[in-house]
Amino acid sequence: MADDDDYQDMDNDDFVDDNEMEDVIEEEPQRPEGEEDDDDNVDENFELFDHGKAVPTTEHVTTPFMTKYERARVLGTRALQIAMGAPVMVELEGETDPLEIARKELKQRRIPIIIRRYLPDGSYEDWPTEQLQLADW
Amino acid sequence: MDSLSFSSESDEDNLFAEHKKEKKIVFGPGENFRKDIPVLMVRSGEEKHPNDLLLTRMPVPPVCIRPSVVSEVKSGTTEDDVTMKLMEIMLTNDVLRKHKRDGAPNKTLFETWEHLQIQCALYINSEMSGLPPDLQPKRAMRAFTQRLKGKQGRFRGNLCGKRVDFSGRTVISPDPNLRIDQVGVPIHVAMTLTFPEIVNASNIEKMRKLVINGSDVHPGANYLVDKKTGNKKLLKYGKRDELAKNLRMGDTVERHLDDNDVVLFNRQPSLHKISIMSHRAKVMPGRTFRFNECACTPYNADFDGDEMNLHLPQTYEAKAEASELMNVKNNLITPRSGEPLIAAIQDFITGGYLLTHKDTFLPRAEVYRFAAALIDAFAKKQTKIRIPPPAIRYPVELWTGKQLIELIIRPDKGSQVSLNLTTKNKSYTKDLELCSKDSYVIIRNSVLLAGVLDKSLLGSSSKVNIFYMLMRDYGEDAAVDAMWRLARMAPVFLSNRGFSIGIGDVRPSERLLKEKGDLVDNGYEKCAQFIRELNEGKLKAQPGCTEEETLEAIILRELSTIRDHAGQVCLRNLSKYNAPLTMAVCGSKGSFINISQMIACVGQQAISGHRPPDGFEERSLPHFERKKKTPEAKGFVANSFYSGLTPTEFFFHTMGGREGLVDTAVKTAETGYMQRRLVKCLEDLCASYDGTVRSSTGDVIEFVFGEDGLDPSMMEAKDGSVVDFVHVLEHAKNTQKKKKEKIEPIALAKIEEVIKTEIEKKFKGKYTHFAQQTAEFLQSEVKKCKKWENEATSCSKHEKSVGNCKLCNNMQAYKDLLKAQCLTRPQLLSFIQLCYYKVARAITEPGTAVGAIAATSIGEPSTQMTLKTFHFAGVASMNITQGVPRIKEIINAVKTISTPIITAALLDPFDESLARRVKARIEKTTLGEICDYIEEVYLPNDYFLLVKLNSKRIRLLQLEVSMESISYAIIQSKVCPLMRGCKIVAHGKTIMAIRPPSNSKLSKTMTMQMLKYSLANVVVKGISSVNRCVIHADEKKGDYYSLLVEGTDFRSVLSSVGVDPKKTNFNNALVVAEVLGIEAARTCIINEIIATMDAHGIGLDRRHVMLLADVMTYRGEVLGITRNGLVKMKDSVLLLASFEKTMDHLFEAAFFSQRDVIHGVSECIIMGTPMTVGTGTFKLMQKYEKKAVLKKNSPIFKRPELALSL
Repeated sequence: MADDDDYQDMDNDDFVDDNEMEDVIEEEPQRPEGEEDDDDNVDENFELFDHGKAVPTTEHVTTPFMTKYERARVLGTRALQIAMGAPVMVELEGETDPLEIARKELKQRRIPIIIRRYLPDGSYEDWPTEQLQLADW
Repeated sequence: MDSLSFSSESDEDNLFAEHKKEKKIVFGPGENFRKDIPVLMVRSGEEKHPNDLLLTRMPVPPVCIRPSVVSEVKSGTTEDDVTMKLMEIMLTNDVLRKHKRDGAPNKTLFETWEHLQIQCALYINSEMSGLPPDLQPKRAMRAFTQRLKGKQGRFRGNLCGKRVDFSGRTVISPDPNLRIDQVGVPIHVAMTLTFPEIVNASNIEKMRKLVINGSDVHPGANYLVDKKTGNKKLLKYGKRDELAKNLRMGDTVERHLDDNDVVLFNRQPSLHKISIMSHRAKVMPGRTFRFNECACTPYNADFDGDEMNLHLPQTYEAKAEASELMNVKNNLITPRSGEPLIAAIQDFITGGYLLTHKDTFLPRAEVYRFAAALIDAFAKKQTKIRIPPPAIRYPVELWTGKQLIELIIRPDKGSQVSLNLTTKNKSYTKDLELCSKDSYVIIRNSVLLAGVLDKSLLGSSSKVNIFYMLMRDYGEDAAVDAMWRLARMAPVFLSNRGFSIGIGDVRPSERLLKEKGDLVDNGYEKCAQFIRELNEGKLKAQPGCTEEETLEAIILRELSTIRDHAGQVCLRNLSKYNAPLTMAVCGSKGSFINISQMIACVGQQAISGHRPPDGFEERSLPHFERKKKTPEAKGFVANSFYSGLTPTEFFFHTMGGREGLVDTAVKTAETGYMQRRLVKCLEDLCASYDGTVRSSTGDVIEFVFGEDGLDPSMMEAKDGSVVDFVHVLEHAKNTQKKKKEKIEPIALAKIEEVIKTEIEKKFKGKYTHFAQQTAEFLQSEVKKCKKWENEATSCSKHEKSVGNCKLCNNMQAYKDLLKAQCLTRPQLLSFIQLCYYKVARAITEPGTAVGAIAATSIGEPSTQMTLKTFHFAGVASMNITQGVPRIKEIINAVKTISTPIITAALLDPFDESLARRVKARIEKTTLGEICDYIEEVYLPNDYFLLVKLNSKRIRLLQLEVSMESISYAIIQSKVCPLMRGCKIVAHGKTIMAIRPPSNSKLSKTMTMQMLKYSLANVVVKGISSVNRCVIHADEKKGDYYSLLVEGTDFRSVLSSVGVDPKKTNFNNALVVAEVLGIEAARTCIINEIIATMDAHGIGLDRRHVMLLADVMTYRGEVLGITRNGLVKMKDSVLLLASFEKTMDHLFEAAFFSQRDVIHGVSECIIMGTPMTVGTGTFKLMQKYEKKAVLKKNSPIFKRPELALSL
């Protein structure tokens, strides 16, 4: 029975309490919530806006289309993941090129990545890739 | 630390300390300050003591900064300049110390000390100014300043641009068999460039094969990197089979470049973003890079020995970005004007043109052969090619060339591509499809019905290009594939048919020679007439010109018409099989002028817009008599290249040729620098997610890009608007008709309502302006349908349509025909849908580096402009600077431009007399011009000047002057100080007596003389800075008059009576900003740049210019794109240091201890960090699936249902 308890504990520690998101690329160390992201314009002498606030999904103002830049970076990041052995989310039909696989995943909206769009005031909107419309009609 | 601590051991410090003790030499400005009192200095935000500004110890860099080179030839080493300087400093220091110890005289001591000081300064900057000549360094050395600055310096040479690995460079050659987005890579290059591929489950078998192949067989690998140990194993030798067997997931294989790898392909000068594009590699034998000729235009490449570079991206991210953003397919269009740049060129156009001729008929064998050219052996999936039925069945089966175009646009049966296009081509005359030159092109459902294809339909920079249309309606792949098919078929057809040029093509016929002879004789006679008129003094000078200048202008115009007419004569007389003519007509290469120069007449040679100047005494060449102005003595070449040039003509021709060469050489340097400045100023501007255009520091430059937020490369219509409604409607009608044949058009009564609601439904209040345009267009279309509704269904005899009446049937058929033209509901819906999609897609995407695109869009075309062209602004006498000098002037925000011209609109532009009156008010008129005489009068007891005005002339010029105003002007005049004290008495209406002041210090005669001479120059009317004012009549708008004022006094012209200040323009933005404000200056900049570009026939989207103008004006004053302006626009030290005046900015930044946030593009490149443009505007987060909560479970053995017993 003691073993079972341990198993349960581990579960809780590792997955349940964990933050839902994490930076895919370790660009910089994780900062505490609410603190300013140094990617944005910080003038030390004054702060007009409350930086680093997430905009709720209902108040999103940015385009519902995936820009070509987002598309390129999502594909690149995903291709890297796949190349490094990440589980593929779609049925493969003989493709070996990670980029091709990533494209296929994107087409089927299966890429587990969220795009964090920063507005000039420092706040950001989180858009899961599957919610963005692809613009290639 | 070791080498750093080797500072020159406080030698100087010791020296100073000793000096302080002994002689109280002042240490520095802060010497007397107490150290414990904090002195707040400069704006560092920290407390700093002035003493901190003095260098007390010499920093000595480690040896890797100043490597010593061991020479193999001679013994010893060659030391770096910095080491040498340090040695010198130490030596001087020792000498100084020795002097002090030995008690050398003060003079020697101080000389040595000064020498030391200078040496230390030279250590930092060896090009220090202000040194006495004897102390100047004998040999130029590279001190730290010299290392940092300049093009080869650390900033520009090593930080902003670096040498790279995984790249190749070789000669390029054409290969029309390659796809548009492919590049042929020599096998040797392919085996040198590698990509580190990580072994994973899906590619492990492939990787094993590559490892086994090793580094000497092509699809192989050069190295294998072990995941765990990180060891790199060479795959040239050793047991590769073994290694392949032991290959594990996570290992990295440095495999060869292989087919379909993403590579970057580039040709210098990289003037715009399409100078570097990503292609798919195709490994081929041979030694050159090869690509389809269609991709020549963006690179500006030809195959006369050009070399190009190839880079292999090394990560998947780089690969993905390259193939998604930089792919040839995604860059068919130049963002400069939205026109296609990648399109058929030269032979492909000629081939397409000859193929679609009306008299091209092909037998079955040839058709099959040409169709076979469309088969791609390397394609993943082979498709069937459907040959259309022959156009002529009997007596022999023949296909027209036009039928083959269908195969190019849509070869296989299953394809959805259905191109619809109606347009005129280059040589359209009249009568639509019945045009005598077959120049009205109609394409219906991908079938070419009428018209020949020429440059406007196949070539670049045309928005009616069929490939462009395909791209807009069916995507890039359809366009690129069609282009490739043309590239395959056209050469096959052309080499089958034969197309070459020979001497017979340029031999003039007897008739042509005669006509040309007549032309030249006539022109010469006219010129002689003008010269005679000049000599007799009969030639009427144009306003603002001398008679000589007028003659030159007239003769130049006369002679240039000779060449034009000779060209037209050529066109009339040449056979239609003439090869150069064919090429000129279809636009593939050469112009009509080139042809006429070869066959008829080379024409006038011009040097900087004038006839060759007199390089010899009063003549251009010593072969002629002095002062001769005849055409042949002033550079007119009457011969053709075929007939051969006479010696003098040849000299003139070389003069013109030399000017061209010099011009190109000069303009490359000039425009290159201009482009660099533009890019530096605009590089960090980027469209953000809220639609604004901001700089990296967050300054708003534009609230909406280009005032409408649309991307210039998405403008479909020729006039620069988003959607070409006519085409989209045509497309919608033709594609929708196919599916549902029997749908009645929407009733006209309802249609307006339907349009309104449908648009409302689709647009949902977005893009209101565009929605309104769509609605307006539809309404106008509806009007055409009205005809159908009102048309009678029966002939005049019958009330109702009768089946057996022929007329009735005709009427019915006619009505049906009209009905087919009307909109049905699905057509309307599809139209609105298409329009909505097109406009939604045309919105500038957040992240786009609009600044860099604008900078290159303005810089790149200016390299194509000729350096110095003068353009006549309506009137021959007034010319304005154009071309590169003009663009430079505008961009630099020069205060005094070379040709300031105010275009003054009149309150009543149709009133010519008003124009004359206003002209008189503005133009400078001096007293000398309106008086008959100015005489000195000496009487026994009086002396004065007598001025007699010419009232007739005053009336003729409509000058608004009176005796009072003239007297006032004289007294107020600053021409001569004596006038201030004059006494003026008017006698009658035309005579006035002017008595000089009695208190003059000069003698009376002198005073009188001085007054007399300066009186003539007194400005009695007009603006003194205006030399010339010309009435300009716009022929297009009928008698529409405006004034062109040559001068800078914009304010005075604006306030002149009769001038409409609202419509008056000036071409100097700085003055406009001063007079009217910054917004007016912005408009002025935009209009001037666009006008200059237009004059050179360069298509440039307005939005780019707007952005440039906004950058120049957003600070509230007009800032030039120069080093002075840049400092006011940007704060970043790194950016400024990497631009110009590197050291000045670095010193200043150090002095003020500035901080740099590293946001801009230049800074990020220097620091090697990702920038906040494009793919760097957002971040990615991994989305973890919520892990299912595991229930506590009991071991299998304990489960009762299994009843297992332990």
